Order: sequence, then C-alpha cells, then structure tokens
Amino acid sequence: MRRITINPITRLEGHGKIEIFLDEHGNVANTYFQVPELRGFEQFCVGRPAEDMPVITNRICGVCPEAHHMASVKALDQLFGVEPTPAAKKIRELFYMAFFVTDHITHFYALGGPDFILGPDAPPGARNLLGVVRKVGIEVGKQVIDCRARNHHVIQMLGGRGIHPVAGVPGGWSKVVSAAERAEIETIASQNVEFALFTLKIFDQIVLGNPAYLDLVMSDVYHHRTYSMGTVDEQNRLNFFEGRIRVVDPEGREFLKYEAADYARHIAERVEPWTYLKFPYLKKIGWKGFVDGPQSGVYTATPLSRLNAADRLATPLAQEQFERFYQTMGAKTIAGRHQPVHHRLATHWARLIELLYAAERMQELAGDPEITSPEIRNIPQGIVGTGVGSVEAPRGTLTHHYVSDDRAILTKVNLVVGTTNNHAAISMSIRKAAEKFVHGFNVVEEGLLNRVEMAFRLYDPCFSCATHALPGAMPLIVSVRNHEGKTLKSFRRDG
Amino acid sequence: MSTIIIGIGNPVLSDDSVGIKVAHLLGHALRDRPDVTTAELWAGGLRLMEALKGHEQAIIIDAIVTEGGMPGSVYTLKPSDLRQSRNTCSAHDACFPEALELGAMLGMSLPQQITIWAIEAGDVETFGEKLTREVERAVPTVVEGVMRQIELEKPLPTSGGDRT
Repeated sequence: MRRITINPITRLEGHGKIEIFLDEHGNVANTYFQVPELRGFEQFCVGRPAEDMPVITNRICGVCPEAHHMASVKALDQLFGVEPTPAAKKIRELFYMAFFVTDHITHFYALGGPDFILGPDAPPGARNLLGVVRKVGIEVGKQVIDCRARNHHVIQMLGGRGIHPVAGVPGGWSKVVSAAERAEIETIASQNVEFALFTLKIFDQIVLGNPAYLDLVMSDVYHHRTYSMGTVDEQNRLNFFEGRIRVVDPEGREFLKYEAADYARHIAERVEPWTYLKFPYLKKIGWKGFVDGPQSGVYTATPLSRLNAADRLATPLAQEQFERFYQTMGAKTIAGRHQPVHHRLATHWARLIELLYAAERMQELAGDPEITSPEIRNIPQGIVGTGVGSVEAPRGTLTHHYVSDDRAILTKVNLVVGTTNNHAAISMSIRKAAEKFVHGFNVVEEGLLNRVEMAFRLYDPCFSCATHALPGAMPLIVSVRNHEGKTLKSFRRDG
Repeated sequence: MSTIIIGIGNPVLSDDSVGIKVAHLLGHALRDRPDVTTAELWAGGLRLMEALKGHEQAIIIDAIVTEGGMPGSVYTLKPSDLRQSRNTCSAHDACFPEALELGAMLGMSLPQQITIWAIEAGDVETFGEKLTREVERAVPTVVEGVMRQIELEKPLPTSGGDRT
C-alpha cells in the first residue's frame, strides 16, 4: 500500500492530518483523518460542584459557548431533579435561537457561500468572505455584520454577558426579560426573518439558478446513504432546543426515537488505533466500517440530517422552504413523509432553511407575552445525582452527561459534541474526494485540495470542540507516501 | 486616544489562556483610565474585528506557537504578521487580517494602530487553569510592556490655566 497524507494544520505546526492509503495499483484503498487530542477535560471537571458546569463547559469552545451552556443547564435540571418554569424554557429557547441565527448566517457567507458564490474552482485565495462581499455587494456585507451585531446584543441582553453566557441555572434562568427588551428582540427577530429570506433568495439565484452548480449539488460527490439524526417534538417537527432524538434509516423510515438520557443505549463509539477521534455509530446496527447503507451503523447529525429526521418544520415560511427543498432534490414520499436527501452538498441549503426556522421561532417566542414573566426559576430541592442534557448545536446533536455524589460534586463527565457524530461521514466524504482525484498513483493536487476543503466546509467540523481556532484557515499539506511510509511527493496550500 | 486591550484564548486550556490572564491584570492596573477598555475574547476572526470597532488603538494579547519557539518568548507583531497565531483566526469564519479588510471595506470605524503581543506557549492541549512555568514568568514582562506602551500614549493632563 502507498500512502498520501494531507495535513489540514492550524497556524501551528502539524495539527491534524488526512491520510490516504493507496493500493498496489495506486488507487485509493482507504482514507483517514486525524486531529490532536486535547487532554484532561473530564479530570478538569471531576471534583467540582456540578452547578459550575454551565460556566466551565461554555469555555471549551469560543464558537458555540451558547450550545454548551444550554446542554449543560439542561443536564443540571435533571441532576438536581427540577423542572424549569414555562417562562424559563421560553427564554432559554429565545436565547438559543438568536445564537443559531448568528452562527448559521456567518457560516453561509464566510464558509459555505464562497464555494458556490465564487465557484468551487475559483482561486482559493478568493474563496472567502471578502470574495463573497466583492461579488454580492458591500451592502450585503454590512447586513451580515449588522445581523451578527444585533443577535450578539440579544445574546448579551438575555444571557448576561456577551461572549460566555451565565444566565442559565438549574430550574430556570436568572434574568427576567423586561417589556422593553422583549419589544426590541421582536423587532430584531423580524429583521432576522427578512435577512434569512433574502439569503435564501441569493442561494436560489446563484446555486439553483445555475445548472452547473445544481449538477454539482446533485452529483455523487459526497453522496452517502447513511442514517440521519435530529431532535424532534411530539409531532416529529424539528426542534433545536428540546424533544426526543429521532433517527431515520436511509430510506426515511423511523428507526429510533429516544430521550437524550438514553443515548448510551443507542449510540456506541468505535475506537480506531490510528486516531484519537471516536466514531459514534448505531448500536443496534453495529459498526461495519466506513461504509454507508442500511447495514452500516454510520449516521450523521447535521442541518441536512435534521431535516431528514423531521416530518416537517414548525414555522410557516421555513415549512414552505422545506417542501421546496425535497421537491427540488427529487425526494420521493414514503409512508407519508419525504425520503431523505443524501447529497451532502445540500447541507448548505438545509442550513439556510434552518436559519429561517430559527428566525421565525425567535419571532414567535419574542411575541409570546409569557416571555416577560417574573416566574423564571424553580429552586432545586434535592440531588438526583445524574443528568443528561441535549440540544441541537449548529454542527450536530450535543449531549452533556454528568454524574455526581450526594453533595452534587461531579464524579463523571461525558460530552458527545456535534462534530463527533459526523466523524465517520467526514472520513467517507474525504474518501470520495480522494477517489475522484487519485488514480494509478496520479494525484490531481488542486482538485483534491479543493474537494477536501469543500467537504470540511459543508460539515464545518469543530474538532474536539475545544480549540476555538482549530484548524485555522485550513492550510492543507499533502504528502504522498509509498506503502512503507516513505514520502513520494509533498504539496501544500495555505488557507 | 481610545484604546482597547483584548486578551484572546481559551481560559481553561493551560497556556492558551495567557492573553486573557494578562488582559485581566492590565484591566486592574488601568482601572482609573477612562480612555482604556479591557476585554477578553475566546474566538478570533470576525469576533475580534467587531470588538475593535469604535477604538483608535488596539492592543491584542495572545498565545502563539511557532516552529522551534521557546516557551515564554514574547513577540510584538502587526496584524499582517499574524500568519502564525492560533487565536486570531477562526476556523468558522475568517482570519483576522481578512476580517480587518472586510471591516475597512464596509467602512467600519477600526483602530489605525493595532499591536499584538504574542507569548510563545508551552502547552495548549491540556485542560487546566494554570500556565506552564516559562509562560507564567513572561506575564509580568508583557504587563509592563503594555503599560509602557499605554503610558507613552497617555494624553497629557490638562488644566484650565495651561491652555494655549
């Protein structure tokens, strides 16, 4: 076997790499990606009071502290056996929707958009946020920054602090929403809905209106028929904030639906000798390797899988887009629901539909008179000693699991972060990219780098959910090695 | 001159937190200076650029890992030197120089003068609140360096009689 290595390093040396093993004929035999392990998070937490966790865990990632804060607070509700008040649940969700809007909008314009707005074959140096703004106009750039600013403002108003929220407490929330704040948030939510619709229109014009791009989305690049995971409410509508976790099979039939607390009964983690990464899979199906299909326990938890796992969306404009999405993608209906879409590049479109849903849901919650209720907390009366909290983070289902002693001092901590769910699928997408551009020892360098970058951008992996900057702007280093590990050639692209 | 001092890093990832720790000390030392604001940030990219809005001068303090660098070494850099910084990039949006260019393109009011104080880190892969010894030793150096920089630019005290 021969080996090709791609290092998507950070600005630091040697962080993470992709290895492509070739067979004797110089074709792709296998692909792997590796990232460094950050050590000691569980040890860092064990021995601390459980109630510190919403503030500690939101520090492990500078990109989605809000998601960790929320999963952590929900785990504490259980650990202390306390049900939050109805108003507290609504404030939490309102806060969370503001976060989703800012995260998804940023992803589209800075990461997802460039591949389409500028084209997958545009020079790498131009495929970034600046390139997008040059193409779509300064005014749109201003709107992106304004959208971020107004939603950061909401997060700060509701969450207490700007970059790392502190307002969530077991049993509720620690800050009442004033009438003036409610009115301001309602206005902001309406602006979000408008901007989400505008962004979908841009996607329409640029991607759906361009046969070449539409062909790319519909092609077999990154097409994997896996199981799809997402959180749904009692009517099987997508919900980012609470509900049960539903998994549908590659044909679209419901395979599992469970409470987050039961995650360990349904999900197991595969450990491979060549990487620190763990590969979660469906226990009932089992691990069959990096393959798709109904016989493989590989699943994904992404914007696309969330739409696949839901029967519909709970807000009217997003629901219209949802229907249009499945019609355009040519999905058939099975047992009263659409069949899943497995073209991973469609994740970018799914993310925008989620954006619209989050904006509309924010509008609904801000318009709810109960949101200004002073009844924002139930005081915990005891200690149950175990709690599992789960939310849909932008990059996939996020689960926090804590165990404590009878004084609520932590004895065990386990986190399954959004990206982890997708490790196997990301490996499979990299393999598809490699298969397209490596034949008989011939490596098409530019094509391979581009396609690997596109795969990363669509999953937007947050490796190990700990180093906020990993993997930087995705510089790639590729080494081609023979079966003895000797480097045959090496090339790189700086992000 | 309105100055913002920003420490960037992960506060619970060993030496990655050095920028935040230094900014915290500076915030305390400069608490009587209404023209100086201190802040901490966990992400670079757009977030960092947005935090600079409305200030004339920015001082950014960050951990850095360079090839063959000695932990505890201190560098002062300009934004254009930032190719090696761990924190000023965000994998999820943009790199700092790119974010600055965007801000300029959009007509945002950004500082003319940006200095980055970077401290070579020893360990940025273990969760913990403590710094490694070499990095800990560099903290006073950076605090003093930034204080000198700020003092030099301190507006002259004004009193009614001295107007010319």
